[in-house]
Amino acid sequence: MKFVNDLKKYWDYTKRSAKAELKSEVASSYLNWLWWILDPLLFMMVYTFIAQVVFSGREKFFPVFVFIGLTMWNFFNKIVIGSVKIVRNNSAIVSKVYVPKFILVIQKMLVNGFKFVMSFILMVIMMFFFRVPITWKILYMIPIVLILWILTFGISNLMLHFGVFVEDLRNVMTVLLKLTFYMSGIFYSIPKRVPAPYDEFLMRVNPIAFLLNSARGCMLYGEAPSVQMLLFWGVFGLVVSCVSIKILYKYENSYVKVI
Amino acid sequence: MENREIALDVKDLRISYRCLKSFSIKRSLLQLKKSKVEIFEAVRGVSFQVPKGEILGMVGKNGSGKSTMLRAIAGIFSPDSGTIDLHGHSVSLLSIGVGFQKSLSGRENILLSGMLLGFTEEQVREKMDEIIAFAGLGRFIDMPVKTYSSGMHSKLAFSITAVLESDIMLIDEVLSVGDVRFKRKSSRKMKELISNKDRTVVIVSHNSETLRKLCTSLLWLHDGQVRMVGKPDEVLEAYEEFMN
Repeated sequence: MKFVNDLKKYWDYTKRSAKAELKSEVASSYLNWLWWILDPLLFMMVYTFIAQVVFSGREKFFPVFVFIGLTMWNFFNKIVIGSVKIVRNNSAIVSKVYVPKFILVIQKMLVNGFKFVMSFILMVIMMFFFRVPITWKILYMIPIVLILWILTFGISNLMLHFGVFVEDLRNVMTVLLKLTFYMSGIFYSIPKRVPAPYDEFLMRVNPIAFLLNSARGCMLYGEAPSVQMLLFWGVFGLVVSCVSIKILYKYENSYVKVI
Repeated sequence: MENREIALDVKDLRISYRCLKSFSIKRSLLQLKKSKVEIFEAVRGVSFQVPKGEILGMVGKNGSGKSTMLRAIAGIFSPDSGTIDLHGHSVSLLSIGVGFQKSLSGRENILLSGMLLGFTEEQVREKMDEIIAFAGLGRFIDMPVKTYSSGMHSKLAFSITAVLESDIMLIDEVLSVGDVRFKRKSSRKMKELISNKDRTVVIVSHNSETLRKLCTSLLWLHDGQVRMVGKPDEVLEAYEEFMN
């Protein structure tokens, strides 16, 4: 498949470019790498305050609960919203040399993936700190993270494509993502907090809500996620990714004409 | 000339900008009537061949489709119809201001641009010193590209594509880059690159002198169509007469 060949061919470039971007982020301000850790930590405190004090929520290991949600959400959110204008932002490169456009998305995924891993390490430290009992079910995190990455890739590719042609897609997506944010239970538990028919509904139609809930289940509470649903979203993500790659290959050469 | 290997083969190339205008959801909701689809054909059915080692010049007034065609040959545009066959040669577009990532240093950008042009990291690193020496930016090479002046920007861009050689080079008005000293240096480098018998070059320029000196044949584009092909002197004479 052309995709695999192109990925191989441009992999070194993608890696270098991601590394360079991370390095320049650190170079531009010495505190910047600290922000990769501080950002989720501070937001964790904000949401912990709101959920526990204002709405008097009572989840076990609440700070870690929020932290898992934020880590996964940030990864998804940053890449998807970043992909909307990604061609325009890279117009200097795109208009001078041919690059398969999904490489731009993968580069973003590597940059944010690195921050994701940093955040994840912090998460494990926090789990020890809060004495979360760890069970073998934590291994479910592997398919969960994998599915999150595949879904993010597919959706971002679509955003990249439509972002070129639709000028105000960014405004629309900002609202939609905000909605998804509140519908995914980043700082509350959907099964416990949302009344009866709707919680099932949300867990079924919103992959992020499902993945978050599963991640928390297997990391904090020793619960196994529904394998059936995992498979479903895995296949769904793969289909979206394949379709989006097809679309990108078909139209990518005309992007330069629009921008 | 008939039996020489063809390096670049363009057949009935058509490129238009029709119906690719971006739209906004807000605007299409507010204006119910459809806006007219504008059609602009930049290149209309151009065919030509460049044998290996030839230097083809392209002339034509502004907006006659020269740059569009170069970009199509470089693979950045897709043609609406027609074919471009590079016969497996590597190609690079040498134009003012190759894409840099502004927050990265010059050194990083050399590496990234080189890898985008299809070279491996080791190959670029091997040539790194030569590129840096050629660009002559001094300590700026380790500063972010956003701190560069426009002259330094184009010097670096030129150096990268000039030192990392590809089989087919497309040159877009690049002969006037930088200050006097760099101009001399770059035109010497250009001649050296061009005189390599295996290299195929396509040059777009408005400078009759350079075209006359460098090219082995000339192509005159007018409104996206080939008006004349032939020896530089003949084409330039006709072209200048037409322009006056």
